[in-house]
Amino acid sequence: MRSYHWPPLLPVLALVLMPFLPFVNTTGLWLGLPRMMVWGGFWCLMFTPALLLSERLMRGREEER
Amino acid sequence: MILTFTLAGIVLIGVLGFVGRRKPVADLAEWTVGGRRFGALTMWFLQAGEVFTTFTFLGMAGLAFSGGVAAMYALPYVPIAYVVLFFLAKRLWTLGKERGYLTQGDFLEDRYSSRALGTLSAVLGVVFVLPYLQLQITGLGLIVRLVTGDSASGTLSMITGSVLVVAFVLWAGLRGVAATSYFKDGIMLVALVVLIVAVPTHFAGGIPAVFHKIEQLHPEKLIVHSGANDHVWFVTSMLVSAIGVGLMTLPHSWPALMSARDPKVLRRNYAWMPVYELCLLLPMIVGFAAILVVPKGSDPNGVLLTLSKDALPGWVTGIIVVAATATAMVPAAGILIGISSLVARNIVRVRSGRKQFWINHGTVVLASTLALVLGIFRPDLLANLLLLTYSGSVQLAPANLLGFLRRVPVGKGPVFAGLIAGELVVVWLTFVDTHLVGTVNVGLVGLAVNVVVLGLAVVVERFVVTASAKEAA
Repeated sequence: MRSYHWPPLLPVLALVLMPFLPFVNTTGLWLGLPRMMVWGGFWCLMFTPALLLSERLMRGREEER
Repeated sequence: MILTFTLAGIVLIGVLGFVGRRKPVADLAEWTVGGRRFGALTMWFLQAGEVFTTFTFLGMAGLAFSGGVAAMYALPYVPIAYVVLFFLAKRLWTLGKERGYLTQGDFLEDRYSSRALGTLSAVLGVVFVLPYLQLQITGLGLIVRLVTGDSASGTLSMITGSVLVVAFVLWAGLRGVAATSYFKDGIMLVALVVLIVAVPTHFAGGIPAVFHKIEQLHPEKLIVHSGANDHVWFVTSMLVSAIGVGLMTLPHSWPALMSARDPKVLRRNYAWMPVYELCLLLPMIVGFAAILVVPKGSDPNGVLLTLSKDALPGWVTGIIVVAATATAMVPAAGILIGISSLVARNIVRVRSGRKQFWINHGTVVLASTLALVLGIFRPDLLANLLLLTYSGSVQLAPANLLGFLRRVPVGKGPVFAGLIAGELVVVWLTFVDTHLVGTVNVGLVGLAVNVVVLGLAVVVERFVVTASAKEAA
């Protein structure tokens, strides 16, 4: 795996593990919404900065060549 | 009034499809992938077109109504798939451009030097995706029937919608899908915003009030718990869907990807599309509101329209219905292009480009007629096959993944063996021994068997090659 593959891994893990996290998969609300919904929405949003960072790292690598 | 509004909306979508192209074309590549010249904006709506279907509109609300937050499995799989596609896009697009691929069958046939593999993948693609086409058409009828309460109106809408989709697809190909996608996403966003404001306010006094009531009255809907939609179901369903979309196993995703002007366009869209994906949360919230007011046991797919009919004036419901019909008609057009190009390129093989073009167009008419007739007279006939759409298609993932590598490391034999074993396991677990693996997604079990058989076949293949090389020496 190259350095540019790493950034989106954290959101992927956060989403795949979502139902197993006891503080996420529980009753109670965050911001008036179900916790799973807030957690899922937040980490989906995090894909964009992660992939933009990956793109930057890829470009840097291409320029180095 | 709603029926008139809906029929006018269906006709408008058809007209927009025709506007997608000014002159007719007789070239299958131009018709299927729009000359590979689409920029970022068109690609955005084409890519979104595959994601936002009737399932988004009616299904997500229904899933939240029946399963609560278990519906959240459907939110992350597309962004996870986009991560895979973000890294694969350049390789895939370049291969497609250099080797002239239009379909998944073209890709597999070329990478494994096997016409038989191209044909088998195409046949599987058609078999698994035809029910998905029917789902869009019957979805259209369901939408109108639910709102008007008249089944004849539903059938009339199905026929009108199908005829118009066929007409604009024949005329404009992928350009027609692109043109209608702009309208579809625009009206869908308007409808979702109206619904998300009006429905929770009307029935509970706002979105936070909906969830506070759910917390008090139905706290089990806020967690993934044991039962049919448990943790294992959640994760395995998410993974199968992510693998299927990320490794391009659904045939109708190929023409859209191949139509991009360059891979940078694709990459930029894959980076930003997860933000757009959050729109899926909106019908889910409507589904939660339905838990409070719609009687338990009601048809989950109908809850969004039932609530909008109760909360909104007739003409606004008309807009919602037009948006819902657009989410059925536009994806149906994209699916038709995926099916017809597979048949013309990889199943019925003719040398003449002109004959290939006419076979393609004949398939558009035939496939949509079949889906429409079965949708009206035997809606249950293809329903079982729909269970195989994702779990069956995903069995092509190992073949695709290995084919993306610079040098394909395995021969066609092991890929055939794995694919056939995976499909047999999926069919067995879906129709014969339905409880054997509990809540694990059968597609994932099939995929595991597929990979093991493929690995064993590679070992056997290498052993046979080494032995015959020694004999020859």
